[in-house]
Amino acid sequence: MPTVSVKWQKHVFNGVEIDTEQPPYVFKCQLYDLTGVPPERQKIMVKGGLLKDDGDWESLGIKEGQRLMLMGTAEEIPKAPEKGPVFVEDLPEDEQGTAALGHTAGLVNLGNTCYMNSTLQCLHSVPELRLALKEYSAAVGTGIDPSSHSLTAATRDLFGELDRSIRPVAPVRFLTVLRSKYPQFAQQTNQGLYMQQDAEECWTQLVYVLSQRLQSVPWDEQPTNTVVKHLFGIEFKSIIKCEESGEESSESETVYTLKCHISSEVNHLHEGLKHGLKSELEKTSPILGRSTLHIKESWINKLPPYLTVQFVRFFWKRESNQKAKILRKVNYPLVLDVLDFCTEELKEKLKGPRKVYREIEDAKVGIKKKEKEGAEGVKALQNLGTSTSDENVEMADAEQAPSSSEKVNVPEPEVTGIYDLVAVLTHKGRSADSGHYVAWVKQDSGKWIEFDDEQPILQREEDITKLSGGGDWHMAYICLYKARVAPPY
Amino acid sequence: MAPENSKDSHAMDQDVQPPPSKLLPKEAKKKKEEKKDEDLSEEDLALKQQLELYVERVQDGDPAIQKMALEAMRQEIRTATSSMTSVPKPLKFLRPHYGTLKSYYEKMVDSELKRYLADVISVLALTMSEDGDRESLRFRLQGSIGDIGSWGHEYVRNLAGEIGNEFQQRQTDEQPVDDLMDLVKQIVPFHVKHNAEPEAVDLLMEVENLELLTQHIDKGNYKRTCSYLTSFASYVPEPDDTLVLDIAYQLYCKFEKYPDALRVALRMDNTQYVKSTFAACKDLLEKQQLCYILARQGVLLELDEELADNDEQRELLQELISNSKLSEGYLTLARDLDVMEPKTPDDIYKAHLVDGRASAGASVDSARQNLAATFVNAFVNAGFGQDKLMTAPSMDSSTGSSSGSWLFKNKEHGKASAAASLGLIVLWDVDGGLALVDKYLYSNDNHVVAGALLAVGIMNCGVHNDCDPAYALLFESVNKEDPTIRIGAIMGLGLAYAGSQKEEVLDLLTPIVQDSKVGIEVAGFAAMALGLVYVGSCNEDVAQSIVLALMNRSEAELGEPLARFLCLGLSLLYLGKQDAVDATMEVAKTFHEKISKYCQVTLDSCAYAGTGNVLKVQALLSLCADHLEKGDSHQAPAVLGIALVAMAEELGLDMAIRSLEHLLQYGEQNIRRAVPLALGILSVSNPKISVMDTLSRLSHDTDSEVAMAATVSLGLIGAGTNNARIAGMLRNLSSYYYKDPSLLFCVRIAQGLVHMGKGLMTLNPYHSDRFLLSNVALAGLMSFLHGSLDMKSIILGKYHYVLYFLVLAMQPRMLITLDENLKPLSVPVRVGQAVDVVGQAGRPKTITGFQTHTTPVLLATGDRAELATEKYIPLSSVLEGFVILKLNPDYQQDHLSS
Repeated sequence: MPTVSVKWQKHVFNGVEIDTEQPPYVFKCQLYDLTGVPPERQKIMVKGGLLKDDGDWESLGIKEGQRLMLMGTAEEIPKAPEKGPVFVEDLPEDEQGTAALGHTAGLVNLGNTCYMNSTLQCLHSVPELRLALKEYSAAVGTGIDPSSHSLTAATRDLFGELDRSIRPVAPVRFLTVLRSKYPQFAQQTNQGLYMQQDAEECWTQLVYVLSQRLQSVPWDEQPTNTVVKHLFGIEFKSIIKCEESGEESSESETVYTLKCHISSEVNHLHEGLKHGLKSELEKTSPILGRSTLHIKESWINKLPPYLTVQFVRFFWKRESNQKAKILRKVNYPLVLDVLDFCTEELKEKLKGPRKVYREIEDAKVGIKKKEKEGAEGVKALQNLGTSTSDENVEMADAEQAPSSSEKVNVPEPEVTGIYDLVAVLTHKGRSADSGHYVAWVKQDSGKWIEFDDEQPILQREEDITKLSGGGDWHMAYICLYKARVAPPY
Repeated sequence: MAPENSKDSHAMDQDVQPPPSKLLPKEAKKKKEEKKDEDLSEEDLALKQQLELYVERVQDGDPAIQKMALEAMRQEIRTATSSMTSVPKPLKFLRPHYGTLKSYYEKMVDSELKRYLADVISVLALTMSEDGDRESLRFRLQGSIGDIGSWGHEYVRNLAGEIGNEFQQRQTDEQPVDDLMDLVKQIVPFHVKHNAEPEAVDLLMEVENLELLTQHIDKGNYKRTCSYLTSFASYVPEPDDTLVLDIAYQLYCKFEKYPDALRVALRMDNTQYVKSTFAACKDLLEKQQLCYILARQGVLLELDEELADNDEQRELLQELISNSKLSEGYLTLARDLDVMEPKTPDDIYKAHLVDGRASAGASVDSARQNLAATFVNAFVNAGFGQDKLMTAPSMDSSTGSSSGSWLFKNKEHGKASAAASLGLIVLWDVDGGLALVDKYLYSNDNHVVAGALLAVGIMNCGVHNDCDPAYALLFESVNKEDPTIRIGAIMGLGLAYAGSQKEEVLDLLTPIVQDSKVGIEVAGFAAMALGLVYVGSCNEDVAQSIVLALMNRSEAELGEPLARFLCLGLSLLYLGKQDAVDATMEVAKTFHEKISKYCQVTLDSCAYAGTGNVLKVQALLSLCADHLEKGDSHQAPAVLGIALVAMAEELGLDMAIRSLEHLLQYGEQNIRRAVPLALGILSVSNPKISVMDTLSRLSHDTDSEVAMAATVSLGLIGAGTNNARIAGMLRNLSSYYYKDPSLLFCVRIAQGLVHMGKGLMTLNPYHSDRFLLSNVALAGLMSFLHGSLDMKSIILGKYHYVLYFLVLAMQPRMLITLDENLKPLSVPVRVGQAVDVVGQAGRPKTITGFQTHTTPVLLATGDRAELATEKYIPLSSVLEGFVILKLNPDYQQDHLSS
């Protein structure tokens, strides 16, 4: 019975006896005791050969003190995952591009149509809107207004094409339909060229048409609760007060954009918005029986998942007969908290979600904060909201109808009043009907893409806030903010 | 003295003017002479007149007077001292009389006096004789036999030069040279004695009698002599270079400098010498050092009783030769430099530094990018035994090990490379590595099994284990059904046993090469594996079988991209063997025209690889000068051949780089595509700025294949250096090519190469102060380059594991000092740029711009290290790799510093 030494990984077992009467399998069992490697997984190497289970010890000529090498582990054999990964290379060719690039394609400029392209790119960045459009079918559309229908359908088709294509898309059909619906966009110069248009006008009209057409959502028959209204509608509660008589009236209205008025005091979006909430208007006072100066003060009563902010940069300049531009630099944040503009009721309502949201954020950062109550907590939250700008809470099922009394049982994520910047439409030039419009859109991956017509260019986030004006470079005209939501309280 | 000197130089100024021509009117001449005389000091004037008197007296009829005059003249000449720039005065004043003396000499009858006069005329001829007349030598031979050294150094040097010319003349005229040899025998000791060993060597080379040298060299000057001999061997045509090295070897042996002797023996590729060096060396410690040198060159010497004193000793030495300590040493280095932490591909890509256009974060996995990440991960973590993709411990048991999950993020053949990458991660660590690879051998996915087999081969590359695990695990799979598994096993064998000439591999693989039923790809890899195992051996059997395969395959098969591996496998057999290739060359001419030229060029360039043979470079250049119709593929290997032949020494290398620039401008597209690769190998792991700039320019070339080759070559020249400039260039390229998956793949591979082994490795096949060329490493590089010639169908196609051929050239670029128990020992060393000090007088500094570190240290290409302490004596004169240090018995502790 010769004794050998067996080397296994970094261990050496000296003085292992081999019973040459027994087949090598017995020897393997011996080693199993030592190493825990099952015999069928053992590979024993003897001078460039493998020891077979039923091999013959004689022919191997094992010598006293010879060193053998054992290879094998008790580890599990790696198995292929049941669902293998999908590779870009496997996708059909037209999908490869978007998958590989991580962003959608650009839109071809069809002759001064950058206003339209940038608008479309911004709106295209709203996934809920895309989904709603996808469900929009021709059958629903038959009826009232064929041109509105065809514009909606054209938007749907164009968005679909954008999702699929890697090459720039030419929005020819959309443009034709848009021009037939709104002839003002078909204005031509003396030379017969189509003229540059105001992107804000295009945006407003398009959102209006979509709000008209996308109203009949299957789960809700109420015509007022349209998808677009739910997504973008900001409900205002205003109090109109007559300076002279002191009489008050209140009214509520829904708008699709917050206006940021720019005056010489406005340096920041926050100030501009505040400015816009207070206005003076002439109105016939029922008591005095004449038109007097009224003060209108508004507060937001309901916040949408997407907040559209328009910088009122253009005003009609009579002497030059064009929409002139205010070049003033107005800073805007990547994270916007609109709590200040809300009504007291809404503030009360937001408290809950904001607390939940804050707790989640804290848990994410790994801090266990002691519960604090009241305004102090809210204040801390505001700070937090601005400091953690990278967090991007997924918004599940947000395209579903807003919380109405009939559907209380479906818990909805709730808005917190904190918004992330997701898209910016900028303008470069001195008047609305000239210059160049570009859309800057944040992707799911967190990267920013500048859609300069057919060319998507990757941009850094810190460059986005530099589009705040104060020069001849691109400056923000419309900003689209997306709400941070908290799970139901 | 000073004023006299200045006067002297003034006189020299005039002397520089051309001697008055005979056409000039005599008066003018006279005037001038008078003027000259006026300028001379009285002392000089006296000397001049004295000498003129001697000249007259020499022609006197009285032998006694003649003799006296001659003696006096001799005396004057011998005692004359002068500065370096001026002619000694006696010679100057005697110049006008040279003709007189010569004509008188002719008239003299043969006597002792005549020989005396011959001596004097011979010396005068030093300044007077026309070019090519060799009068100095002629009169020397007619002169007296005496100490020629007494006439001064310059005279001897001049004489040596004339002997060289005369020798050649007589050789062509087939005249005897005995009288010359007598002179040589006088001159050589003179040179050697006066620190002019290079001159002595040169003279002996001229008269083709280098053997004479050995008897004159002693302990004091053998070092200088040998360093001159070894370095000028690269410039000597074969077979003289062997002769030169032979002398150097004998000298080293004579003075018991066995490590140096061994290096020369390895350079000569002379196994007999290797063995006898080993046998002659008696000191155990020194023997261990010899083992380390052998291990670095990859020579597997089987020690028998003669070479080792007892069994225990033999086992110890054999273990060192088998290189099994390499992994340990490498990890010591890594720990010392604190780079053990695994790196992910993202750490290498540094996407956050790429501004603007980098990929916006793909939502779907790209198989090609994952494959690139696999390679990058493997190259970067090579040899460290741990990484974050393949070996990272599983996060939780339910999802299975994470290694499995990364493996399966690769597609089909990509899985083979992914599994094989494990081999690279555990490179050189066979014991630990096999345990990691084991489980993949049981996989039911053929690609994974193939990769695991390849991994076994990769980890065994350059190290040998007496249990032969690689052969045991691989040999059965070589004849499996599935071609992927076969290729994995075959390539694994080739890598594991490269350079070992293992006969089992020969028996196993030759049937596959010859079998015309197997696919050309399997046969190609088998031929490559055989070429690697028998690299530079000129093995007849292997050559025969590959030649047969090349003859029997159909035209269509020979057109396949992998058919080139048959040619390359064949060529590797003759790597560096020069004219031994001739017979096979003739056979190659009979191959099918599709492959014949490719094969011939590859054979030629391999056979002369690393020889610096200028004629071959010219021949290859002229091949590239043709503007061919499409279809011929032999120009690309010719371009590579230029690089291979010229890489031998620095001068030729620089010339080759300049020639390649021309090819770039005037060559056809197929040539331009190979140029970046040629540049890559010429400066592999040696990021020269000029080459870098050229490649950077080419990486934006409009021809995508040129751009791909240039990108990969950027990786080659920066391989294992962590060079920040190249890394920056590659990052920019990654954003420039973010839309082009093929080019992006190349950029990624290059990034992986630059950060290979986290900057601790080199691909340079030259080591030991650029003196030794590792055949195996060169073969590995060539396999990779030939694979890259058809980037689209090989590297970017299904055979990306060709990249793993680079493992053959991968070596740590380190210096580890060991104590007498072979444990790492930290000592201060100076590391700086190597300076060529061959043939320089005195003891010049061998490095410049050095920094002092403590070992272990990294050495870049062109760096040299020297000990910064007197406390130890290194056993090897070249401080690279593992060096054993011995305590210096004469060392005295410096009291101040302690």
